[in-house]
Amino acid sequence: MNELIPLMVIIPIIAALLISAFSKFNTISKILAFVVAICLPVIAIASNYGLHYFGGYEPILDNVTGITYHPAIVYSFTFLQQIFIAATGLLAFLVIFIYLAKYRKVSGPYLFLLFMGTASVTAMLLTDDIFHLFVFFEILALAQVGIVAASSIDYSYEMALKYMILGSIGSPIMLLGIGFLLALTGSVNITDIVYAVHNGLVDSKSPVFLISLGLIFFGWLYASGLPPFHTIKSGIYSKAEPHGAALLQSFTVISMISIVLIMFRIYSSLQIFEVLIVFFSILAMILGVSLALTQTDFRRMIGFLAVGELGFIGLGIGLGTQFSITAGLFQALNEIIITALLFIGFGAIVNATNEVDTRKLGGLLFYHPKVALMLLIGGLAMAGVPPLSGFQSKLMLVQASLNCGYPEISILAIMVSIATFVVFVKTYYSIFLKPKPKDLDVENKQVPKTMIFAMAILLIIVVLFGVYPDVVTNGISNFVGGIL
Amino acid sequence: MKLYDQIFNVVKQFKKLFSPGPVTNADVSGSITAEIFIIVSLVLSTILLRHVNVLLAALVALIVAIVLISNIPLIPKFKLEQEDSLEKMIFYAIVTLSIIIVFLYWGGNLV
Amino acid sequence: MAQTQLAVLFTSTALIIIGLYSAIFIDNIIKKIIGISFIEEGVNLFIVAIGYKSGGIVPILMPGMDASWFSSNSAYPLPFGLVLTSIVIGASTLAVMLAFVMVLYKRYGTLSTKVMLADTSKKEEYDE
Repeated sequence: MNELIPLMVIIPIIAALLISAFSKFNTISKILAFVVAICLPVIAIASNYGLHYFGGYEPILDNVTGITYHPAIVYSFTFLQQIFIAATGLLAFLVIFIYLAKYRKVSGPYLFLLFMGTASVTAMLLTDDIFHLFVFFEILALAQVGIVAASSIDYSYEMALKYMILGSIGSPIMLLGIGFLLALTGSVNITDIVYAVHNGLVDSKSPVFLISLGLIFFGWLYASGLPPFHTIKSGIYSKAEPHGAALLQSFTVISMISIVLIMFRIYSSLQIFEVLIVFFSILAMILGVSLALTQTDFRRMIGFLAVGELGFIGLGIGLGTQFSITAGLFQALNEIIITALLFIGFGAIVNATNEVDTRKLGGLLFYHPKVALMLLIGGLAMAGVPPLSGFQSKLMLVQASLNCGYPEISILAIMVSIATFVVFVKTYYSIFLKPKPKDLDVENKQVPKTMIFAMAILLIIVVLFGVYPDVVTNGISNFVGGIL
Repeated sequence: MKLYDQIFNVVKQFKKLFSPGPVTNADVSGSITAEIFIIVSLVLSTILLRHVNVLLAALVALIVAIVLISNIPLIPKFKLEQEDSLEKMIFYAIVTLSIIIVFLYWGGNLV
Repeated sequence: MAQTQLAVLFTSTALIIIGLYSAIFIDNIIKKIIGISFIEEGVNLFIVAIGYKSGGIVPILMPGMDASWFSSNSAYPLPFGLVLTSIVIGASTLAVMLAFVMVLYKRYGTLSTKVMLADTSKKEEYDE
């Protein structure tokens, strides 16, 4: 069923438009949102692998030069796309479910933003066309801004405007890089560009090619929130509603890996590309975790942790071997699930107490034991404790860096894991274990059952990937072997 | 004695970091952990330079270690540079952009 | 007429550099946003300049044209298509940014970036 491939993008977009248009009819839009949200992961799982040529324009073989050209946008759907689209779709379903259960009157525009963001990241994963990727990257940025601005948290507008202003520096710079590539190769199709680069049609030592790498790399830094964008990225997580933040971080991770895989295919012949990625990943790990240690707002703290964990993904891809890239992508998948679990869990605490300052919280273990237990397991998974999924991917990363002859990176990765654990324990202690402050009001406030349900589902996946990592890593490894 | 005083002053300076509001044990210990973590990890990552030149790596690691340790507390300075104001965010973004471009244009083929 | 292309490239570089300058140094938020949109326009201009061909014809195949003559004489049409999309995106981003500025101007009564978009964590009053 290859026809399902474009539908993965089209269905959420149509749902977004319909819900936004019929937002006056509350029940209809609720039902529609629920049904489409269920469909999102199901389509990805039901679809067959393959290519989809938009408009039916198949590749053209030039008889004179013997080169194949792709005249139209191509979507390619393999195991990697399937697993990531299914993960995002599942997360989007859980987030929409939490949202629908929380409010009696739902907001059409907000659901529009959630669906539009999901559609954008799906398209970014599927596409084989670098300009198509840029367009959906911009749509994604607008959707993210909308999700942040729609929250009722103080100063969310300021944060959203800051993100937009930085975005309107980052995205045109990336477009400029795409323009350089277009000038060099005359195409925006990535397969064509890769063919031109690897067969000597483009001089890979020319300054134009190098600068196009720099410009696209800068756009990637903005998309993934690595330094210098780590402050704004953690800021927008902390200013969005908790379930929105859970979805926002998955958008970030997926836009990060989809852009970096494209960059890897084009620029992997350049040594400096890997140096750049490793440098910024190490910087992200150090800055993210050390800043997370000093935060008092626990949403901001999780935001910085999420940014720090992104460094592991970058590290895996920067090392550049098949094993390390597999480890990096597996870490990306784990991070989507675990960070979402933490955001939803800490969001439940915000919901129950209306308080985000760790200094004013305490003693909640007695009131919310279920949330406390699930958060504990999530935190252990993020820090990399066996037999949870974070352990498997981090172990793979440490092994990969040892195999490549960089024991320093292994030590650094282990240290960052330990510091992550310290951050988590510190926060966990001040929220759940320390004596309850007198003025904290926790009576008569229940955690919504939908949030518990969502956390339980995510937890099952975390344990499943921890015990049977081969389910995912074999497929990812095959994919990575294909692009190397 | 001098180093002890310096570390004691570090704890005092953390008070300003968490203002407004009280400072708890967990926050101070977290900040001290962050302090040690930053020093160790930055020195450790300079060792990566040994793949370029061993002598250079030793020299840079020594210099970085001395500069960082003599400048504690680092976390208030780090945090001040990475606050939420748009001015600083844009400044660092554009500085990074120019560094990347300059580095790639003149050094891209050397690595 | 390679000079035309060169002039356009210079203009686009100038626009991008003016935009980056204004992003750092201008305090008024509206002026800053105008400056930043210069970056976007500069990039669009650059991509248009890629497709330029001196003495080229409009890339529309009219009936009666020889296909090989057409392909060697027409301008490259792909950049124009890309720029069209990029302009639309730029316009919508600009509109959303200005809408935010309107809301924030009502809240703060000033257009200064230093006041409006300062570090928010220090602004919150801690009630003891």
